[in-house]
Amino acid sequence: MPQLQPMKNTDYPLGYWQKVTLSIWLIALVILPFADIEIVNFDPFLELSLMTQGLMAPDFFATEYLFQAIIQTVNFAIIGVCLGLILGAPLALIYQHPIVSGCCSFLRAIHEIFWALLFLQVFGLSPMTGILAIAIPFAATFARVFHDIINQSSDRPLESIDSRADIISRYTYGKIAQVLPQLMAYTRYRFECALRSSAVLGFIGMPTLGFYMETAFKQGNYNEGAALLMIFVAIIGTIRYWCPPKLLGVYLVIACVTLVEIPAVDSSLLVRFISQDILPPAFANAASFAEVQWYSLYTWFSDIITGQAIPGAIATITLALLALAATHFITLNAHALASKHLCPVPLTWLGQLMLLIGRCVPEYILAFIFLMLLGPSMLPAIIALAIHNGCVIAYLAVRQNNAIAPQQMQISKFNQFNYHIMPSIYPNIMALMFYRFEIIVRETAVFGILGIMTLGFYIDSSFSEIRYSNALVLITCTALLNVVIDIFSRRLLKLPQTSLASC
Amino acid sequence: MITIDNLNLHYDKTSSYNTGKNIGKKKASTQVIFDLSLTINEGEKVAIIGPSGAGKSSLLHHLYGSLQGRAALCSQRQGLVDNLSIYHNVFMGALARHHWLYNLINLIKPFKQNLNDITALCQQLELDQPLEKKVDKLSGGQRQRVALARALYQQQEIFIGDEPFSALDPLMTSRLLETVLAQHNSVIMVMHDRELAMTAFDRVIALDKGRLVLDSKQQSINLQQITQLFQTSAVA
Repeated sequence: MPQLQPMKNTDYPLGYWQKVTLSIWLIALVILPFADIEIVNFDPFLELSLMTQGLMAPDFFATEYLFQAIIQTVNFAIIGVCLGLILGAPLALIYQHPIVSGCCSFLRAIHEIFWALLFLQVFGLSPMTGILAIAIPFAATFARVFHDIINQSSDRPLESIDSRADIISRYTYGKIAQVLPQLMAYTRYRFECALRSSAVLGFIGMPTLGFYMETAFKQGNYNEGAALLMIFVAIIGTIRYWCPPKLLGVYLVIACVTLVEIPAVDSSLLVRFISQDILPPAFANAASFAEVQWYSLYTWFSDIITGQAIPGAIATITLALLALAATHFITLNAHALASKHLCPVPLTWLGQLMLLIGRCVPEYILAFIFLMLLGPSMLPAIIALAIHNGCVIAYLAVRQNNAIAPQQMQISKFNQFNYHIMPSIYPNIMALMFYRFEIIVRETAVFGILGIMTLGFYIDSSFSEIRYSNALVLITCTALLNVVIDIFSRRLLKLPQTSLASC
Repeated sequence: MITIDNLNLHYDKTSSYNTGKNIGKKKASTQVIFDLSLTINEGEKVAIIGPSGAGKSSLLHHLYGSLQGRAALCSQRQGLVDNLSIYHNVFMGALARHHWLYNLINLIKPFKQNLNDITALCQQLELDQPLEKKVDKLSGGQRQRVALARALYQQQEIFIGDEPFSALDPLMTSRLLETVLAQHNSVIMVMHDRELAMTAFDRVIALDKGRLVLDSKQQSINLQQITQLFQTSAVA
């Protein structure tokens, strides 16, 4: 019999997730003094009371082209998702190739709004701009996620299939059939995302709900703005009733028919955009390759990097890290409120409704609203990101923890929640948070368009100064930043995933 | 039909089969089969027996690997696709006989001919469930028969089975075993039931700790010897 070891020390080391949580908060505390989070608005309460009044008395008939706006919002989303599926699903099968995955992560890293700003220069306010702006990043996302989902399927059915069967049959029956429900569920979720993106494209002028929302809020028509917001939440909250997967084909046909007319593409505009506008001034001004002034090219490039890209990137990361900590806070609270293991059932309905609203309203619109309330600083962005992402993660976590059967033990709900439910789902919450972090960084960059000094601010200014070449360099920097963060957060998650699999 | 000479198999070498048990142990490879030589002739019905961990499944998967294209495998792990119906799981046995386009259409709208074939096959295997039922709704014994039906539907001349009846009652086991033996020219099967192995098969092979210890072709063996084998193994 092995002899009992005498107890050497009673130190209880921190668990992996405790360390991760602590570091998130520690980092947030360290960078907090450097962040610009003051409330600039002179009287936020006046604005708040006006907004509350608007929310109390929403005016559903104030918007002139409301029906058109809803139709166009849905149309862009449906056609964008379908096009994204057509392009992305085949890529999922060859995603393991480093070139494919590299290109996809680059395309994905550029936000829909930036895509739209680019296409706007070529197609103008044509539906093409909206559809392509959604389809391209979505295709890249579909490729990655479908690849991950298919990889999770078991290889066992393949073992029993005759090896002489062709690869298409083996793959569809043995692999894809296993994960089809997950693929469908993910597609539905992306459709929801597409609706949000489609609405947000209104902020840069596309004829979707966001356009009218921005106008209403900017003019202080809070009754109209609140009504639009409610309609939007209702549309997203009821997707499963009005858009079952079977009807998607029907909707696609309707969408194509009711789409506003696509104006002919001015090919000279396209040529000019590619051959002149997006080239650095040193190239565009030179008549031949020999005349290129390399020194001016260098100063142009280094000016953008040091003057705009680096400060923008620092602001983006600062904001994203603070938003991560805030998201953590919101997630835990919102999740607890909507969990049937902790709260009485009627209260969880209220919690669920809050989660629905929080996750339906795009962070861009939330940030816009908080910006009106609090004035331009990082604070509105942090709050908006935390509310939206916190609600998304909490929603997924609640779905998961409602599936957990309560322990057959005589302990109070509170103890049960802390000792059984939280330990079971916390790793998953953290994994989701790191996955969302990539999204937080993307969104953070875009908030620049609202006037917060992140990368998007410099991109937006370049566009309005018609310096497309500058914008292109900055967009590339943003995309690279996202790719690096993506790789980093994946590394961080590798460790616990293997340990999860073994227990 | 197949001859193996001084076969040595390791955990990591036996395809993905044994790696699952090995996670976390960090042992790169554990030998499961030692210097095993064996010849199986065309038309033989061979039962493989032995205590757990003797290397039966590893040997069987190796044999299946060498007989690729001629043999149908009914694995212990079944490998059913939970999201598909009984019909589609059984049809997977016939994938190699059709063009991929035919297979894809069949996934959406089953063909009459296959429906008839598979209904008959399921009746033969005493599987009285609606064919459109998803296999994750089935009991252990029913799932096992779906896996068996899929292997039979491959219509190969050689059948390789890894305890394909372990979840069935003894009477049904002997009825279904008869069906399997009758429909295949050669059968190689890991058997749990020693007595049935002795009575229903031409040849019985016993493995212990990765070595071939008994072969009814070389020596006459009786139930006593086998029982002894299991007992010594259990003590050790």
